[in-house]
Amino acid sequence: MLLPWEYGVRNLARRPVRTALTLVALATVVMLVFVVVGFIRGLEQSLAVSGDENVVLVYSVNSEQNIENSSIAARSPSLVAASLDGTVKRFDVTHVSPELYLGTRVKTNGSAGGLGLVRGVSYAAPLVRRSVKLVEGDWPGEGEVIVGRLAAAKLGSTDEAVMVGNSVEFEGRSWQISGRFAAGGAAYESEIWCRLGDFQTATKRQDLSLVAMLLSPGSSPAEVQLFCKERTDLELRAIRETDYYASLQQHYKPVRLLAWFVVVLVSGAGIFAGLNMMYGAVAGRIREIATLQAIGFRRRAILLSLVQEGVLLAAAGSLLSGVIALTMLNGMAVRFTMGAFTLRIDSVAILIGCGVGLLLGVVGALPPAIKALRAEVATSLKAI
Amino acid sequence: MKINLSVALVGLSLLAVGCGQTETATTQSKTVEVDTRYAATTEPANAVPVGEARNKSEDGQDITLVGVIGGSNKPFVEGIAAFTVVDPKVPYCAAEEGCPTPWDYCCTQDQVKENVATIKIVDDSGKPITKDAREFLNVKELSTVVVTGKAKRDDQGNLTVAASKVFVRTEK
Repeated sequence: MLLPWEYGVRNLARRPVRTALTLVALATVVMLVFVVVGFIRGLEQSLAVSGDENVVLVYSVNSEQNIENSSIAARSPSLVAASLDGTVKRFDVTHVSPELYLGTRVKTNGSAGGLGLVRGVSYAAPLVRRSVKLVEGDWPGEGEVIVGRLAAAKLGSTDEAVMVGNSVEFEGRSWQISGRFAAGGAAYESEIWCRLGDFQTATKRQDLSLVAMLLSPGSSPAEVQLFCKERTDLELRAIRETDYYASLQQHYKPVRLLAWFVVVLVSGAGIFAGLNMMYGAVAGRIREIATLQAIGFRRRAILLSLVQEGVLLAAAGSLLSGVIALTMLNGMAVRFTMGAFTLRIDSVAILIGCGVGLLLGVVGALPPAIKALRAEVATSLKAI
Repeated sequence: MKINLSVALVGLSLLAVGCGQTETATTQSKTVEVDTRYAATTEPANAVPVGEARNKSEDGQDITLVGVIGGSNKPFVEGIAAFTVVDPKVPYCAAEEGCPTPWDYCCTQDQVKENVATIKIVDDSGKPITKDAREFLNVKELSTVVVTGKAKRDDQGNLTVAASKVFVRTEK
């Protein structure tokens, strides 16, 4: 015969302080799991949505994978566009975007600012970077910049500091913010864009970092790669934009592995904490458990009831953490080396977080319950 | 508890083994069905090394050159049968120097500039084959190849060979 369902539920209310403490401990562990999984999912999502299948990046062969270190001749865009037929061309405008891209210290109003990512672009940029949308203000004029949705997070600044009309300082100049843009969660969202010519003047550079080209349907990035191989004097390399971000995913693989390892460690630590707490909870109920055995309840039924209590607490903790994570953590901007991205509490994060929570309830309750049930009934009845 | 510890240790070991994989997999030779339309069965005579070909060949001239596939960490063009070759006289990094991709000539990059050529394998109409060269020639990075084709030169001294036949020297 099983113990009534209400027995386990009422038991939780009989020791409110202990129950509340256990609930907080379980909720904290589940919250930590949510944070770490949300971090991994956010990073993966940011890199996954960055890039366009039809865009090819041409940059220096000497910069390895890092476009920020790339330096190519200013004539490269016209050379590449003239040598290849596969680029989109509409109304006599070739969709080739010359860009100067670098990390530099950016100071915002009222704060010291931080390392920002600045991209000098021309009017061709939005033709090639099709996910970029101006959500507020205007395209930058002379001495003006537009800032991405996550630029403030990347700079370690506030959203108010990068409002339209304010100014930011970098490369020894003050730049007025003329607009803000979004890019569907892509990496550009943590960048600041200004006019290419202005940026070249400010940085005293004549070269470029990269050329981004929008390929017409049916064209292959291999043709651009072949051009780069043939023109060895230019020292260029070409890569499909999605492959570039996929290689960054590979680059951040150790970080992601470490983060998953943290999930395992946190869960492990949580299970031990849960075990400790449940041992305490069960230890104080040895007489009660023995009494239940004495009046005829089987060990299995008592064990199930104890696990039920653990699972109920863990489920409540997971629910509590889930609500907090979804309302407060989801979408929170995180600063990272490559820019910034948002924590993503998606279905996978919820599944893993709640799974770990329920596991804590079951695994945490089983060993102390088994230990208590193994004791002699007569001895246990005399226990204090 | 002992069982739990063992499971955890096995898991960690698997994780460590997974992390330890390197790029050496790309150098593993695979069984390739060689396309005899482009693969020569006998080595053409009088092949000139890449460096010499860069100095002496003219645009449109028929040429036979010998080179080692390499010059960058990705010498093959994915999606087109093309790759870069370096003059065999240019030494690449020795295995004991700990270079994971010796075909990028990272120890002798300054010598590569004047001793590199691009090979693109073309069909009868002169169009590049839209297939990775590794898929139909038994080649990989650091394979020595003897190529027969037409030279294409430009004002900057770059040499591209539109190859009709490629002979792959067997490794010693």
